[in-house]
Amino acid sequence: MNDRGLESLLAGIAPEGGEIFSAPWEARAFAIALGLSEAGVFSWDEFRARLIEEIGAADRVRERDGTSSHGEYYQHFLRAIERTAADKGIASAAEVALRLSALEGSGR
Amino acid sequence: MSDDHHHDTSLSGPAARVKALEELLTEKGLVDPARLDQIIETYQHAVGPHAGARVVAKAWCDAAFRRRLFADAVSACAEMGIAGPEGGHLVAVENTARIHNLVVCTLCSCYPWPVLGLPPAWYKSFAYRSRAVSDPRGVMREFGLIIPGEVEVRVWDSSAEQRYIVIPQRPAGSEALSEADLAELVTRDSMIGVAKIAAPVGARRKSR
Repeated sequence: MNDRGLESLLAGIAPEGGEIFSAPWEARAFAIALGLSEAGVFSWDEFRARLIEEIGAADRVRERDGTSSHGEYYQHFLRAIERTAADKGIASAAEVALRLSALEGSGR
Repeated sequence: MSDDHHHDTSLSGPAARVKALEELLTEKGLVDPARLDQIIETYQHAVGPHAGARVVAKAWCDAAFRRRLFADAVSACAEMGIAGPEGGHLVAVENTARIHNLVVCTLCSCYPWPVLGLPPAWYKSFAYRSRAVSDPRGVMREFGLIIPGEVEVRVWDSSAEQRYIVIPQRPAGSEALSEADLAELVTRDSMIGVAKIAAPVGARRKSR
C-alpha cells in the first residue's frame, strides 16, 4: 500500500512479551472496563459495540484525512467506557466532568 | 467523535479522566480498586502467549489432543486449565505446507485472551486492521514473512462470535525436543500468523 501504512505498522511492533499497556492509565482503563463487566454492570459485548463505534469513527477520519496514529486505541477505549457508563446511568458525563474539575482544582 | 480531544499531558487528558471515573465508580461501589489492581497484574503477568504455546506444543506431540483441538478448541484448552474472559468461541486453524493462516480483527481488537493474553499494539492499529484482509501477503512481508505464491493464504476476521489461534508448522529439526522445550519455541506472532517458527539452534532450544 503506502509508506504511512508501513511506518505505522512497524512502529507498533512490540518485541515478544513487550508491554501490553503504554501508560498506567491504559491499564487502569482496561481494568475498569473488565471490572464493570465482571460486576455485571454491563456485558463485555455491550462495551465492545461502543468500542467498535469509537474505532470506526476514528478510522473514517483517518481514511478521509490520511492521518495516521496507531497510539490512540486506548483513547477510543476510554471514550467507550465513558459512553457505556453514561448510557447505563452509572456515571453521567456531567458527574465525570464535575469530578474532573475537582481533581484539577485540588491539583491531584 | 466528540469535542474532548485533549492530549495526554493536560490535566483533563485521559489519565485524569480515568482517575475521575475510577473514583466515582468506587464511591458507588461498582468497582473495587483492589480488584482493578489484580486485573492489571493478571493481564500483565499471568495471562499471555505462553499458554497458547503450551497448546501448540501439545497439538504437535499428542495426535488425540490435536484432533480434539481442531474439533473444539474451547474444550481442548479447558482440559489444560486454559479458560477465561474472551476465551469462548475459540477456533484453532492449522498452518500446513499448502495453507497459511493470518488472524485480524478488522473492527476492533477481538483476540483470544486466555491463550494469547492481550493483543499487541500493532494488532489494534489502523494499518494492520485495514490491510490484513486486502493485502495479507504485503502485511506479512512487512513482518519479514514471505509466503510463497503456491501457498494459499487464509485470513480470519475475529469477532465477538469467533476468535482464532493459529497452530503453526512444527519446525524442522525439532524432532528430539520435549513438549515443554517445543513450547519455548512458539512465539506470539506465530500464533497470529505473522511469523513462522524458526528451527531450533542445534536442535536445542535457544535460551532466553
